[in-house]
Amino acid sequence: MSAQPIVDIETLYRPTHDERARQQFVSTLRKHAIVDMRADLKRDWESRVEPALQARGEAPADWRGIERAMEAEPSFRFYSSVRYNVQEMTFLSVQEPVERALDGMIDVAREAAKRNPAGGSLRLTPNFEVPRYVSSLDIHLIPGSFHSEYTQDDVAQGAVVAFGSKVFGGQHPFRKKAGAVAESVGHWLHLKYPDFKPRRILDLGTCSGKNLFPYAEVFPGAELYGIDAGAPLLRFGHAQAEAAGLPVHFSQQNAESLDFPDGHFDLIVSSFFFHEIPLKSTHKILRECHRLLARGGMMVQMELPNEAAVSAYENFFWNWDTGNNAEPFYTTFRSQDPIALSTAAGFAAEQSFAHLIPDWVTFGEERYRRFVKGELPAPAHGSGGWFVFGARKT
Amino acid sequence: MTAQTPATAVKLPRQTRGKRPHFFDDPALDQMMTFLLELTTEVSVMRERLDTVERLLERDGKVTRETIEAYIPDADIEKVRAAWRDAYVKRVFRMHPAG
Ligand SMILES: C[S@@+](CC[C@H](N)C(=O)[O-])C[C@H]1O[C@@H](n2cnc3c(N)ncnc32)[C@H](O)[C@@H]1O
Repeated sequence: MSAQPIVDIETLYRPTHDERARQQFVSTLRKHAIVDMRADLKRDWESRVEPALQARGEAPADWRGIERAMEAEPSFRFYSSVRYNVQEMTFLSVQEPVERALDGMIDVAREAAKRNPAGGSLRLTPNFEVPRYVSSLDIHLIPGSFHSEYTQDDVAQGAVVAFGSKVFGGQHPFRKKAGAVAESVGHWLHLKYPDFKPRRILDLGTCSGKNLFPYAEVFPGAELYGIDAGAPLLRFGHAQAEAAGLPVHFSQQNAESLDFPDGHFDLIVSSFFFHEIPLKSTHKILRECHRLLARGGMMVQMELPNEAAVSAYENFFWNWDTGNNAEPFYTTFRSQDPIALSTAAGFAAEQSFAHLIPDWVTFGEERYRRFVKGELPAPAHGSGGWFVFGARKT
Repeated sequence: MTAQTPATAVKLPRQTRGKRPHFFDDPALDQMMTFLLELTTEVSVMRERLDTVERLLERDGKVTRETIEAYIPDADIEKVRAAWRDAYVKRVFRMHPAG
C-alpha cells in the first residue's frame, strides 16, 4: 500500500477569474433575495397589503389567503423572480468548471474507493432503484437532480451540489459554514445530555456527508455512516472524507428500507431531508429509525418548522418552495405535527421533541450553555437557529 | 450520455425538467428578468476584472492575461469587493415605494 494521501478533490476544481467573479455575484444576489427582498416583502405585507384587507374586513384566515393576496403584488413578483433565477444561476455558475475538472476528480474518487487510507468505505449498489421522488424531477432546480450519472464512476452531481451550495450560501449570514447543522446538533446534544456517547451515528440523505463529518469532532471515536440514493454524491463525499483522514462509511441505500441490523445506531440524524420526501415514505423512514436505534438512542432530524409552529405569514414564506423550487412535498410535510410523526413510528410522546436550537458558531458557546439551561431562546429557523424534531428510544 | 461517455466529454444539462413557473402576467417579463439578471451579473464580472487589472497595474506596472487569471484577492481586498457588490445590487434593484 502506498502511503500517498488522497488528493483533496476540491483542489482539482479551478474556476477561471471570471467564473469566480460570477459565482461571487450570484452569492450576493442570493443573499439580496433571501435577506433583503424577503424583508421588503414582509414590510409590504404588514404596512400596506394587510391593513388594506383588514379595512375591507377581508383579512386572510391562513397562509393561503396571504399567498392569494400577495401573488399580484410587484414586491412578491420580483422577489419570486429573483429567487427563482438565482437558484438556476447557482448551478449554472459551477457546471462548466466541474466539467473541466471531472476527469481528474473521478480519478481521485476511484483512488479513494480503492485504498480507503482513512479506514472508511464506499458501498454502491449496482442497478440501485432510485426513488421516483428523487429521479423524476430536478429537485430545487439542480439539473439532473441528485442521482444522474453521465459517465463511468461519475462524481459530477456530487461536485455540482457541493460547489453549488458554496455559491448558494456564500454570502448568507447563517449558511456560510459547511456542516453548520451537524455542528449545532452535535454540540446541543453534548451540552444537553453530557452522558450521551453515541458509538455509531447514521446520517440519512447525507449527500456528500457535509452534515455528518462534524460529528467526528463532537463525538470522538464514534463510527460515522452516511446513506444516500445518489451515487455521485457518495463517491464525492467519500473522496473528501478519505482525504481529510475521516473514516466514514458511505452506502447507497433507500432510507425507507436499510440493510443495517436492529439497534445498530445510537444516533440517527438528517438535515434538509424530510421536506423532499412524500409523506408515506416519511412514515416508513421514521419507522426505520425506530428499528435501527438502540435503547437510549436518539434521532434528531433538522427540518423546516412545521406549520403550527409559526405564523401564517411565515407559512406563506416557507411554502413558496413547494411550487417554485421543485419541492412538491414541502407543504404536506410542513402540515404534519412532528411529534405525531415520531409517535406513529413507535416513539413515546414524552420522549419526542420538536423545537429550535441555536446555530453553534454564530450563537457562541457561552450563550449556548444558557440556551440549554432554558435561560435564552433560540433564534428563528434559518436566521441563527435550526428547527429539529426527534425522539429518544426507551 | 451513458457510462460509455468519456469523462472529458461530459456535458451536464443546463436546463431543469418540469414546467417553469412564471410570476408575471406576461411570460415575456419573466424572460426579461432572466436577461436582466444575467446582464447585471456580467457587469459585476467585468467590474471585478477591471478591479483586478487596476490592482495588478498598481502592483506590477503591467498586466497580462496570465497574471489576471492567476490573481487571487486577499481577504481585505475580497471584503472591499463584497461591499462593492452589495452596494451595487442594492442600487440596481432599488424598488419603488409601494402604494
Ligand atoms: C437536500 S439533500 C440533503 C442535504 C444534506 N443532508 C445536507 O445537510 O447538506 C436530500 C438528499 O436526500 C437524498 N434522498 C432522498 N430520498 C432518499 C431516500 N429515500 N433514500 C436515500 N436518500 C434519499 C437525496 O439523494 C439527496 O441527496
